[in-house]
Amino acid sequence: MPAVSVRDLRKTFQLKQKAAGLRGSLRALWRPSLQELDAVRGISFSMDEGELLGFIGPNGAGKSTTIKILTGILHPSSGEAEVLGRVPWRQRQELAFQIGSVFGQRPQLWYHLPAVDTFYLFGKIYELDDRELKGRIAFLAEAFEIEELLETPVRKLSLGQRMRCEVAASLLHRPRVLLLDEPSIGLDVVAKQRLRATIQRMNDLEGVGVLLTSHDAGDIEALCRRVIIINDGEIVYRDKVSALRRRYLTVKTVDVRYNEQLPPDFALPGVEMVKVGRYGAKMRFDTRVTPVGPVIGGLAAAGSLADVTVSEPSLEEVIGAIYARAESKDG
Amino acid sequence: MGRHIAFVLALWKTNLLSAMEYRVSFLTQMAGMMLNNAIYFVFWIIFFARFEEVNGWDLVDMLFLFGVVATGFGVGTYLFGNAVRLSLLIASGQMDYYLSLPRPVLLHALASRSNASSAGDCAYGLLSFGAAVYFAGAFDILMLLRFGLGCLAAVTVLISFLVLVQSLTFWIGNTNLLTSNAFNAIVTFSLYPITLFDGTAKLLLFTLIPAAFIGALPAEFVRRFDLAQLAQICAGSAIFLFLATFVFYRGLRRYESGSAFQVRT
Repeated sequence: MPAVSVRDLRKTFQLKQKAAGLRGSLRALWRPSLQELDAVRGISFSMDEGELLGFIGPNGAGKSTTIKILTGILHPSSGEAEVLGRVPWRQRQELAFQIGSVFGQRPQLWYHLPAVDTFYLFGKIYELDDRELKGRIAFLAEAFEIEELLETPVRKLSLGQRMRCEVAASLLHRPRVLLLDEPSIGLDVVAKQRLRATIQRMNDLEGVGVLLTSHDAGDIEALCRRVIIINDGEIVYRDKVSALRRRYLTVKTVDVRYNEQLPPDFALPGVEMVKVGRYGAKMRFDTRVTPVGPVIGGLAAAGSLADVTVSEPSLEEVIGAIYARAESKDG
Repeated sequence: MGRHIAFVLALWKTNLLSAMEYRVSFLTQMAGMMLNNAIYFVFWIIFFARFEEVNGWDLVDMLFLFGVVATGFGVGTYLFGNAVRLSLLIASGQMDYYLSLPRPVLLHALASRSNASSAGDCAYGLLSFGAAVYFAGAFDILMLLRFGLGCLAAVTVLISFLVLVQSLTFWIGNTNLLTSNAFNAIVTFSLYPITLFDGTAKLLLFTLIPAAFIGALPAEFVRRFDLAQLAQICAGSAIFLFLATFVFYRGLRRYESGSAFQVRT
């Protein structure tokens, strides 16, 4: 049985529309205009126990709404969902003992108190035995490298430190599934890497399944084997991250520099010249059309090479291209 | 039941720890509220210096009234501090936190904050009750029990009323002004002798603005035992508690969350 299963899930919000200015406000007062917004439009997917599943999409794509339905915070407009065999919006309390959640923009640690005080409060909320709780705090403090931070008021922690404490707090009751909504929002590169490492470690150590939403494709690339891309409330891609790379990372960019001057009409068959200078050039080609071998051979034959750099688009650019493709289909 | 009590006690302890981070601010707000209440009572001292009684109520009755009301308000808004900002929590999507944890949402939300100034109300209420007992010249343990029961009824009806009004946020959106007006109305009307009102006004004070259940009724009951009043207090508390819980959870189905950045204090 999958840990999470979602079938044809939909969520529609009603939004009040109002024209600008006083006249618009008065008209809205007398005759409010309501518009329906489909935040989630019939999505279906599943996640296995212990799986690290990436759920990515731009702002307003429906990621957070989906996570909120799966934690029981929101009721869906229609469709079905089960998390660990429970319907979240009907069995919210029962389910909350089995899952953990972290929302990047909604801290659960008490701001003026040290994190350890919230940990003890969570111990009561999750009905943990005092001795068991102490052991668990010690274990998580070591796993997340937060021993030194636990007794510092949360308001004095850096964002990265605070987020590690947040994730540790959500794991106190040994959840089987962790729902992480933008946990790396606002973090610098080093803090992101540490957070990713700790999430990976908890998955290895305890087999906790993670459904991770993020703007940052790097989070998904580092942690997840499978990815779902959502745009405008619909799933536009689902497969392994490696397949995503194979399928979309076929366009290579080459920067080349020579020890001698290049002819002004320098070109290679099947290669798009982006820029040609006197001693170097930048070009792009698709490996499905033009294999790498002949391109490198052609570059070597063109003169005495000083330097060659071959790069591929980042996962972020690939995802951007998938969003753009989905939008152009809609258009 | 025991696990809910342990959970609520842990929440109150965490609130206290949070308040102790800013001791001076806590004590200043507490003292300020005591002074505020004392100044308000001076009006009644001046009034009763000229008139011995008003429709059967004298200064000692007013001391009992202030004792029950201030203690009820103080205890209620100290232990359930979010009762005065529930509409904000609903409108700004802050109920997400309570919905993601395995506890009753309403109880968890209400008990997750303590107001420092409420401790001042509570201390003032106890002093007022002490003064009432002294001037009445009659005290027994049953009066203390009646005072406890009266305050419990005041807390129950006050918090239920605030929850009821603010649950309207689920249907009509922003209720800040309505909440503020409702709060002022219930505070004001609970601090007057009930005998000043009759007919429709009296009916309103038992229904739409249930100030009678917070002030006059329990205050009279504390001063002298009356079985009919005890029944009224218990029935009123149970009805308002049921209504508040029912309407809140009905509204919660319409909750739409939000995406604003938040901080837990």
